[in-house]
Amino acid sequence: MYKLLPLFLLLFLFACSTIQESEAGVKSGQEADVGSKTDLRAALDNQSSSSVKSAGNTGKMENTAIVPASISIPAINVQADIEEVGRYENGQMGEPKSIDGVGWYQDGYLPGEKGSSVMAGHVDSKTGPAVFYHLEDLNPGDKINVTDAEGQKQTFIVQKSESYDRKEAPLNKIFGFSYRRQLNLITCTGEFNKQAGTHDKRLVVYTVHEDDVTE
Amino acid sequence: MNIKMNWKKTFVALPLSAALVIPTASPAFADDHGNHTNMDKVTVSTPAADLRATLDQYLSEHAYLAVVTMQKGVQGAEDFEEAAGALEANTQDLTGAIASVYGEEAGKQFNDMWSEHIGYFVDYVKATAEDNEEGRQEALNNLDNYRADFSQFLETATDERLEASALAEGLQMHVNQLIGAFDNYEEGNFDEAYEKLRMSIDHMYGVGKGLSTAITNQFPDKFENTSPATPAADLRADLNHLLSEHAALAVLAMQKGGDGAEDFEEAAGALNNNTEDLTAAIASVYGEEAGEQFNEMWSEHIGFFVDYVQASVNEDDQAKEQALTALDGYRKDFSEFLDTATEGGLEAENTAEGLQMHVNQLTGAFDNYIEGDFDMAYEEVRKAYAHMYGVGEGLSGAIVNQNPEMFASDMPTEMPKTGMGGMSEEGGLNAWMIAFASMAAALAAVVVGVRRKNNQA
Repeated sequence: MYKLLPLFLLLFLFACSTIQESEAGVKSGQEADVGSKTDLRAALDNQSSSSVKSAGNTGKMENTAIVPASISIPAINVQADIEEVGRYENGQMGEPKSIDGVGWYQDGYLPGEKGSSVMAGHVDSKTGPAVFYHLEDLNPGDKINVTDAEGQKQTFIVQKSESYDRKEAPLNKIFGFSYRRQLNLITCTGEFNKQAGTHDKRLVVYTVHEDDVTE
Repeated sequence: MNIKMNWKKTFVALPLSAALVIPTASPAFADDHGNHTNMDKVTVSTPAADLRATLDQYLSEHAYLAVVTMQKGVQGAEDFEEAAGALEANTQDLTGAIASVYGEEAGKQFNDMWSEHIGYFVDYVKATAEDNEEGRQEALNNLDNYRADFSQFLETATDERLEASALAEGLQMHVNQLIGAFDNYEEGNFDEAYEKLRMSIDHMYGVGKGLSTAITNQFPDKFENTSPATPAADLRADLNHLLSEHAALAVLAMQKGGDGAEDFEEAAGALNNNTEDLTAAIASVYGEEAGEQFNEMWSEHIGFFVDYVQASVNEDDQAKEQALTALDGYRKDFSEFLDTATEGGLEAENTAEGLQMHVNQLTGAFDNYIEGDFDMAYEEVRKAYAHMYGVGEGLSGAIVNQNPEMFASDMPTEMPKTGMGGMSEEGGLNAWMIAFASMAAALAAVVVGVRRKNNQA
């Protein structure tokens, strides 16, 4: 029965159209008697049949999001391919399979979208240094370039580095949403704990998209 | 540096190294979202999500009331003062939220700055009403300066987590949206005006998300280490957004209808667009068919409100009663719809009660408006807006309880293991010792083997 409604309302609208025209000159009618001549229901449904414009999320910032394919950090001579990593059963973030590769946490944020995108690389192998061996040498202002498969590049600027006990790292801050477009780089630091089979600490280098940094 | 890298590469190039260096067991990667221990904890109601909802509510209500107040101002409407009063009351609430986190003094600072920026918007409206181009420009300049100061304030407060430039851009967007909504209204471009209103509301949810994240990162203990931006909290925020916007736009459309204002159609159009967005949200959880069902019921109830307004305009008490009766029928049907959809998560009886409040608030806001009791009218408006945040929490909670796997957290619970100890002093030593030990064992085995051979011989 509801399908017929627009038809009725259309008729109403025609019936009212002459009245509405005569009112067209009245600016922001506060008078209640004007309304009495208008069919509000018709006007309402006239709108529902018009094209729907959704507000949606706005802002140019979102357009810079990319699926990372490679990363380069000129200050420490790093040039690496990106591997997509997820989580283990126990909830631990996965690590890149290659000691030359950098793992992007694919369940988190894309580099270039609002939020903290996270990438991790090994500091060493069992026998020598790995891709992020010199991550600790980065200084505020150093650039990180991330590029997608089509060659689109986004640049991030190092803000600060912090190291945390591996069990005490602020995961919400490292992996969570942020108003700015951020990229956080992780590697191991501290002593290697033989029993745990891992280093005691994690180094996090916090970087921010170049367009979100105060000049 | 280069030397070290090359050195590393030579190691990798050694035939055995691949097996040595890279753990061969590659455990199940996390396409496996079904972490059952995590799933039990999936909830829309955490201290951090509550903070986000509070900030979302007051920030978005601010945008809405600011647009309404500016319209009333340039019209010279009778209820301008009361609309401005509602905006002021909103500022007090927002101040309370800020003070609860940063203390009374910061709250006061915030209040001063925030009130100042509202003042500039009012200046802009006044100058527009007086055709004073210079005054308009001055107001815009003042808003510009305010942005810089306010960004600085928040940046300091949040320990630099909301960097000033990103915030300033956000605030510029807010200013543009409000000024845009106002200018278009003033020029009679009502479609644009209401699109800008919707954008300005939407925008505030981004600010609320960012600000709540910054605050909870800053004081993780205070928020029990919960995150305000989990998938479940996102759903809650989305429903809060669309439901409260529904109430806000319904109030506006009802006022416009009652006034016979020329922008009634566009205000109603904005309300219908909101319905489409709500429908999409429902359909994304329950499928297209349920979405259509929802859309039909929801649109129907908006129609009944419009009937109520029409009856009021016509001073037709009988038609008014009819509209209320129709809304009663809707309450029943819609409560049952939600009860079924959420598999009892939202009991029809409770929902019907909540809907009765919604109906009372909207008709109350309208009746008081028509009768010229504007204080009461705007009190009801604010109540109607706040009420929807309870509905949003309830509905999103029921949906999440019903589909926890859809809303499981996508964050890891532990940091990655990004090193094998080859360069750690202790670790390096161990690695070498292991290497030596295994070599020694191998040698021993060979030696033993050789001896046995010799013995046999």
